[in-house]
Amino acid sequence: MNIELRVNEQDFRLVVEPDERLLDVLRNRLGLIGTKEGCGEGECGACTILMDGKAVNSCLVLAAQAVGHELMTIEGVGDRLHPHPLQKSFVELGAVQCGFCTPGMILSAKALLDRNSQPSEEEIKEAMSGNLCRCTGYDKIVKAVQRAAEEVAR
Amino acid sequence: MNEAVVGTRIEREDGWGKVLGETHFPADVNRPGELYGAVLRSPHAHAHIRSVNVRAAAALPGVVGVFTAENVPHNAHGVLFRDQQVLVSECVRMVGDPIAAVAAETEKIAREAIARVEVDYEILPGLFDPEEAMKPDAPALHPDMHGPSNVLYHLPIRRGDMQAGWTKADVVVEKEYRTQMLDHAFLQPEAVLAYVDERGHLVVKVATQYAHYDRGEIAHALGLKYSQVRVKTMAVGGAFGGREDISLQIIAGLMAWTLRKPIKMENTRTESFLSHSKRHPMRLYYKTGATKDGKLVALEAKIIGDAGAYSSWSPNVVRKAAIHATGPYEIPNVQIDSYAVLTNNPYSGAMRAFGAAQPVLAYESQMDLLAEALGLSPLEMRLRNIFHVGSVTATGQMLTSSVGMAKCLQALTPYLATKGDAS
Repeated sequence: MNIELRVNEQDFRLVVEPDERLLDVLRNRLGLIGTKEGCGEGECGACTILMDGKAVNSCLVLAAQAVGHELMTIEGVGDRLHPHPLQKSFVELGAVQCGFCTPGMILSAKALLDRNSQPSEEEIKEAMSGNLCRCTGYDKIVKAVQRAAEEVAR
Repeated sequence: MNEAVVGTRIEREDGWGKVLGETHFPADVNRPGELYGAVLRSPHAHAHIRSVNVRAAAALPGVVGVFTAENVPHNAHGVLFRDQQVLVSECVRMVGDPIAAVAAETEKIAREAIARVEVDYEILPGLFDPEEAMKPDAPALHPDMHGPSNVLYHLPIRRGDMQAGWTKADVVVEKEYRTQMLDHAFLQPEAVLAYVDERGHLVVKVATQYAHYDRGEIAHALGLKYSQVRVKTMAVGGAFGGREDISLQIIAGLMAWTLRKPIKMENTRTESFLSHSKRHPMRLYYKTGATKDGKLVALEAKIIGDAGAYSSWSPNVVRKAAIHATGPYEIPNVQIDSYAVLTNNPYSGAMRAFGAAQPVLAYESQMDLLAEALGLSPLEMRLRNIFHVGSVTATGQMLTSSVGMAKCLQALTPYLATKGDAS
């Protein structure tokens, strides 16, 4: 089927299968490999992207369901010259270990900060509760989100 | 020595690539013209394979190659013993054993094709209890490689005089402890890209903890020279010991080398659980004696580690459990026997702490129970026995420096007094 997707402020015309997952279209057809697959069933959060600013698991969304929505992947969050405060704080505070959960973590955190620029620690933990880190770096991840929130507020 | 970096925070070299989504894990790399590989795995824990029929799979449009044991030049791999087959020929020893592999134009076709492979299994009773598997009359799971017994490894440690130790003991605690099987569940499921490069070398891109070993096992199984095989380690999405064994490397390499086409493979989470090693479940039988002054005088410990279907790192892991069996405590009279036993459970291998984690449950619980029996605080019980410079371990090692246990416990004393120490 023919669809149009808007990803990272760019429009794409695509031919996809009706049962094709948004995750696969992003990775295989658009080459946006920053979105990861960890479980394929919405448990781990590695495939988190933003859909109209809300964090969703792209393994649970069909590509066709994303038509008409504004999508953002990790590639749209920042770049080396203009990193997002979250990207900066994750690197500076050592909130990155193996890095496989990192894009999803940053997008869940971005969804939170975009609607609540001064979250409490509890609010951060709740917003990130759908993202698993098996290197068990949660403490530093929460601190990195707090640091980024301070920078966003400034 | 330059110690300036100690206590400072160094930015990871790979940090920026990871936060920007640029980092390449093996699932993130592709080659033009690549085929997709999938593996058929056994649903049975113990079975004899009477026949494998791949005709229906091979006939599916889009299937380029179907592989079984007979296509593997040297069908064996393993870190300590080559007791694991690339594709199983006759004897299935665990759920998840690979039987056949398919290369096809798409993932969908590859997965459809493996479902069409017909395997005629003679299902055999499984050995799932390591203590049953240890018995002399238990059927041997690896008679050719490991002999008539399923006891893969036994390490006895003896120190002092047990009789004298028990005579001095005013209190004796005897208990059995069990730890469970654990999966590393690293967040990135195994994936691999294998291809033949412009020099005619087999290149295998993989997330591994052990690139030089992978290279040797791929070369051995395929009958290639080391110089013909190149393993490139991609970003590793967590490992924790679970990427020390071969996963998809040889199967992908075999298909790429035979078909001269790039092969991409990715495990689903379920396939990942079914195929890589686990943390050893252990049974720990502990008998510990102490004097009324709270000094440990004797320990008798039997540790049984479930190695599962293949040896992997079991001897080393179970050896480490034995060496750590006393905990960080001085015990003059010690009898430790540690075993690795083959069963039809998922195979056990390396996982964080490599066998040193399991005995903690036993020796620390024993300390708490002894303290309670003697009317001492758990902290005091430990301080009276803790290793210090000059202590000799159960294996006869004299500790000569950097033994910070007592200092560490003393630093914790104020905290323990407030909430940590129930007594």
